[in-house]
Amino acid sequence: MKPSDISVGIELPPLDLHLTRSDVVRYAGASTDFNPIHHSDRMARALGLPGVVVHGMWTMGAALRIVTDWVGDPALVTSYFARFTAPVAVPDDDTGTTVQVRARVVAVSDGVATIALEADHDGHKVLGAARAEVRLP
Amino acid sequence: MPITSDHVGRSYPATPAYRVSRAKIAEFATALGDPNPAYFDETSPIAPPTFAAVIAAQAWGAVFEDPELGLALHRTIHADQRFDIVRPLREGDDVVARLTIEKVRNRGNTDMVTIAVALSTAEGEELGTATSQLIHTRPQEER
Repeated sequence: MKPSDISVGIELPPLDLHLTRSDVVRYAGASTDFNPIHHSDRMARALGLPGVVVHGMWTMGAALRIVTDWVGDPALVTSYFARFTAPVAVPDDDTGTTVQVRARVVAVSDGVATIALEADHDGHKVLGAARAEVRLP
Repeated sequence: MPITSDHVGRSYPATPAYRVSRAKIAEFATALGDPNPAYFDETSPIAPPTFAAVIAAQAWGAVFEDPELGLALHRTIHADQRFDIVRPLREGDDVVARLTIEKVRNRGNTDMVTIAVALSTAEGEELGTATSQLIHTRPQEER
């Protein structure tokens, strides 16, 4: 990608994130966040959730791939923000579920592109006001 | 006494150094489902940008263990997250984390607390900051 290719309004190639219960457990181990709402339906339901939900930080981290795949080098990311607006429930089956990620360039200034991300699951927005900034290569 | 804006600016000692390893970077990137070669480089892998949360979370313990604040992890929701990155974490970095309470708002029986965790190498090189807003619900007897 050349800096001259980047301008406000460009849509990045969309990204679908598939995940199953096994992926939730894998992230719990990798991140060391063992809150039981991420592995126990019983504990998740006690807090009013529909069942086991994936970590908001998984959704945030996995969604960023739409940006890092596009710029190529993840070292170019200088900032990233997201609000966790709705839980992503992950059923205990072989199919799992899918989060759809979309992104577009909303600003280019001083060699830095600002990219707005959207992540949807089951008709709900799961990341709010998500923005990443990347240094242009 | 709940946490109040009087606690803004309070900071805690640095966590013990966390050694970033090739195996942990690979494990974390795999858990995100991200095969980017930068994370699996044979000579000098970097960590995904959100890996900083793994180290920042170790610094969070300070606020939940501070008896003056009355915060409990099981009554806390992670509302938002920001990363400001000076440079990516790399294999072999020894990273320390320093937590500062940046903002507190009390509304009804809810405390909205913004905490900033500054990451640096043990030698003092700045690596970035992980800032989180936590929403805490006070227990019945403190309402």
